[in-house]
Amino acid sequence: MSDLVLGIGDFGASATSGCAIKTYALGSCVAVIMLDPRTRTIGMIHIALPDSKINPSKVRERPGYFADTGLPRLLEKMVAVSGNSNTRSYVVKLAGGASIMDPNDTFNIGKRNVLAAKKILWANGMGPVAEDVGANYSRTVTVSVDTGEVTISCPGRGQWKI
Amino acid sequence: MTEHSAVEEIRRAIEKAPLLSANAQRLMQITADTDHELGDVIDIVKCDATLTARVLRVVNSAAYDLLNPISSIDRAVSYLGERMVTCIAIGDSVGNLMNRPMAGYQAAAGELWRHDLFTAFAAREIARCARGDMTIDLAFTAGLLHDIGKAILSEFLHGSAENLVGDIDAGHVENYLGGEKKLLGMDHAEIGLELAKSWQLPTPLQSAIAFHHEPQRAPEEDRLLVYAVHLGDIIAMMNGFGTGSDSMQYQLDQGYQDYLEFDTKQLPGIILEATELFRQAEASLTQNQETES
Repeated sequence: MSDLVLGIGDFGASATSGCAIKTYALGSCVAVIMLDPRTRTIGMIHIALPDSKINPSKVRERPGYFADTGLPRLLEKMVAVSGNSNTRSYVVKLAGGASIMDPNDTFNIGKRNVLAAKKILWANGMGPVAEDVGANYSRTVTVSVDTGEVTISCPGRGQWKI
Repeated sequence: MTEHSAVEEIRRAIEKAPLLSANAQRLMQITADTDHELGDVIDIVKCDATLTARVLRVVNSAAYDLLNPISSIDRAVSYLGERMVTCIAIGDSVGNLMNRPMAGYQAAAGELWRHDLFTAFAAREIARCARGDMTIDLAFTAGLLHDIGKAILSEFLHGSAENLVGDIDAGHVENYLGGEKKLLGMDHAEIGLELAKSWQLPTPLQSAIAFHHEPQRAPEEDRLLVYAVHLGDIIAMMNGFGTGSDSMQYQLDQGYQDYLEFDTKQLPGIILEATELFRQAEASLTQNQETES
């Protein structure tokens, strides 16, 4: 079974055995990962920006680009694939939201992405149970249907799980 | 390998690097001239049958979704703009160098080219915020070439990524550039400058390549351009278009505020615009290559 690879602004879910969902090089972007342990369904979204208000016309074409429009679509997708509409029972994890090295934290899109994602999750009663966010390195994230494990890797830093 | 012998070997690798085509060179010289016109660009393309064919293929690719195909080179160049024509000419001339896998940075084939292309669009968007006069398409070209030194340096960095990242985390070096210099006696910006000189690139492009991580060291007359590329490079890395192990391993230089009327509130809009333009350009160039093969 081939992996589902998400580009910037993509989201997807799968319950197919042998499948993994992967997204490359998050940078300041954030991946929100959802797992429904009851049905062994996994989902992920690659969010680039916190708020769709900067360009509402972009939403129709790629809703997953923004936290505010993307996360509701990921939830819909998870419900459709898993058949479990009790979204509060999903396990949620976060990765990404890195920043460039800058003591003044000027280009803080990463931090704002993480906060925007969390606010939407909190509003839906879904706080993340694990996260690997911030710092100054880019992350590639893989989640497996079979194990539910979330693996993060970065060139020069190896790989680890959250 | 001693630092001295490494530098010698790097210099030999620079000498052996592919040459930029005469037309790509001329296009860059024209772009750097503030008084140039689009007609100057069209004249060069018209005299080069291969470049003409490629420009027509790109403009008529599905990525631009034209209702009626364009068959005139004048219209094609007007539609694509000189930035895309320069991009096609550079890709034809030294695309193999820029598409190489870079094992030294743990980066796959094509990552450097995508990073450069994203940086080019982001630098062009940033250049719109210039406090002084600036040719925004020059920022595009500078963005496209700024990391060319990595294509040479990569093979000398083999197996060093973990140590370089560790040195930065431990504070032994300030950033990846410092790590490269400490390890081999030359960094990718210096190597890029050597290459830029051998390709006889205009001085502003040489400055952008040499100082994109240290814009305050650039000659005053080129500093605006260099800051545009500096920020474009950072935006590309933030957006996931880095070049492997060195992604985001550099400092932001706050000095840009003296040269650019850029408010960080504009950042999401610039990221969005650069992403859109990058996607379209990448699709049109990729389709062009597929048609060729």
